[in-house]
Amino acid sequence: MSIDSILKYFYSGLNSPDLLTNILFIIVYTIIISLLVSVFAYLFGWVERKLIAKSQYRHGPTYVGKYGIFQNLADLIKLITKQKVVPENADVLLLNIAPILLVGITILVILLIPFSSYLQATNFGLGLLTVFVLLGFTPLLLFVAGYASGGKFAQIGAQRSVLMLVSYEIPMIFVIATVGFAAGSYSLSGIVNMQSNLFYAFLMPLGLVIFFIAMLAELERSPFDLREADSELIAGWLTDISAPYYALALMLDYMRMFMGSLLIVILFFGGWSGPILPGIVWLILKAVIVSLFIILIRVSLVRMRIDKILKVGWMYLLPLALINLLITFIIVIR
Amino acid sequence: MALTRINIGPVHPSTHGVARLVVDLDGDTIVKVEPHVGYLHRGVEKLVETRMYMQNPPYMEKIDYVAPMSVDELYVATVEKAMGIEVSEKAAYARMILLELQRIASHLFWIGSVTNDLGQSFTGFMWGFRDRDVILRLLEEATGQRMFYVNMRLGGVTREFPEDFESNVLNAMKYMEKRIKSYENFIEKNPIFIQRMKGVGVLRIEDAINLGVTGHVLRASGVKYDVRKNNPYYQYETLNFHTKILSYGDNLSRYRVRIMEIEESIRIIRDSFFKLQSAQGSMVGMPVKLISPKPINKISIVNRELPRGEGLMYMVAEDQKPYRLSMRAPTFINLSALNHIARGHRLSDLFAIFATLDLVMADVDR
Repeated sequence: MSIDSILKYFYSGLNSPDLLTNILFIIVYTIIISLLVSVFAYLFGWVERKLIAKSQYRHGPTYVGKYGIFQNLADLIKLITKQKVVPENADVLLLNIAPILLVGITILVILLIPFSSYLQATNFGLGLLTVFVLLGFTPLLLFVAGYASGGKFAQIGAQRSVLMLVSYEIPMIFVIATVGFAAGSYSLSGIVNMQSNLFYAFLMPLGLVIFFIAMLAELERSPFDLREADSELIAGWLTDISAPYYALALMLDYMRMFMGSLLIVILFFGGWSGPILPGIVWLILKAVIVSLFIILIRVSLVRMRIDKILKVGWMYLLPLALINLLITFIIVIR
Repeated sequence: MALTRINIGPVHPSTHGVARLVVDLDGDTIVKVEPHVGYLHRGVEKLVETRMYMQNPPYMEKIDYVAPMSVDELYVATVEKAMGIEVSEKAAYARMILLELQRIASHLFWIGSVTNDLGQSFTGFMWGFRDRDVILRLLEEATGQRMFYVNMRLGGVTREFPEDFESNVLNAMKYMEKRIKSYENFIEKNPIFIQRMKGVGVLRIEDAINLGVTGHVLRASGVKYDVRKNNPYYQYETLNFHTKILSYGDNLSRYRVRIMEIEESIRIIRDSFFKLQSAQGSMVGMPVKLISPKPINKISIVNRELPRGEGLMYMVAEDQKPYRLSMRAPTFINLSALNHIARGHRLSDLFAIFATLDLVMADVDR
């Protein structure tokens, strides 16, 4: 039985009219995707440490396992076995639920992303919009987590996350609208299929730049890592989150990076399309390249200031997003 | 709107040791910064009163652990002044070379910590440390120690320079010039770096003079004051170097002044090696003996251009021990300007300003 036929079997199961079979297949699929995401998050945590170390003339992790590959595992185990400290004036329920919800939302978004023409949970018409509605939730959850922990540093981080939401979300939505417009649909696999001739990265390079910058802000990667600005706010909204939840939050960072890279690849680099290799390999390869690029940016830039981010968002990104919409409109309509 | 009071430190990633700042915030704007010091107070000034003159340099070095040799030299120069010991020409050049090497090392350390405080995930930090290590290796060659040298003796230094020291240093200086160019490309041309630094934390010339700041903070505000020029010691007046100033007084000026200072230090080192060849006298000072010559001056005051500003030591001499020793620590005075500079800025800028003032808390607390 070839891989292709397994995938096809899977696809038929996921779209079966029988509700019970459907639910069963979706559960299995979710578990597979969660495993994939965890493996990626784990490996990428290691890759990032090594890559950053290399660019800084260090060795990075070397002791645990070959080339230190088990270092992150050791760190995770250490964090999980540590005592969980809850601040006195924290809202315990919200503080506990926020990181878990964040992981849930991230995995839900990745579930909606098609990994190849067969490997997808569902293919419904408003996939792109659903993804971005879910993404819009994450800064609010971060705000809740920061606010619930009761510490002042966490609260400042939480306030910053809402301020950032205001600055980058609108240009991002414009770019999404442009992509949807160019593809003629909001279905993610539809968008990928429309890119078989020309990647949208070449159709709208401006849109790619804007989306990439907005995505960096969304993922709180440098230079927009203001919510957890380590030299200012200690760890921002993570300051009072301890032990197992902190481990979860660290994993979450890489899960979200995976999610962001996948979205960029789907929207601008033709998703799974590519010669010879199977689609899923192409998709993950492209996502890894985008993630590496995100890491290189982290190594080389200093952090921006919150009011400057607002200025960048409203003064540059928003007009450029509109120009991008206009140019794409002219090209596609003509 | 009610003020928020947050407590930063004494354990915080960017307070360089154990500074504690109590900040009153109105929204995101700083209303007041109150530095609290004393978490690293060791009572060095009292400690030296109980020990003989040449037992003290190891304590002195720990006052400023980023540039130990310069404080060591300041103390030994004070003792020399009290005892009326002359430093030979050759020893003077040797000391100048070592001090300028120490200055470069200290400035490189600082460049690293500035980029780190601005949030560059350790890249600039590691680069600064790597280049500082080149200098530390040279100092190890000359003194036998990597960080805490205890190299100054009355009237000279501990030992002659090793044979190939000169060529090693000159090669390292060539390397350093190249590295400074790369810092320019990597850090100074970065628009976000400029955005964070330019026009932020302005200290006007009159305020700078009134607050008594020294070193790069004063020179970045436009005052041409450098102890090496204004009150020359050793052979500094025979060398051709400039006091670099900038007049904006903001973070970027403080950064650029430091970069220019490194270039001037490289120049001084090259000139000193050239002049060292024809210098008279012995490089090696008196061996350390517990019984030292009797001081002839009761009170001696010496000032020096330390890497972080003007250091001044006041000593009342007794027979074999200092009766009282007091030091004007440059970073203590520079820290007192923090509230004045940071008022009205945003919270993120506080850390940029704090970083560019270049504070070593060991030096502040003593």
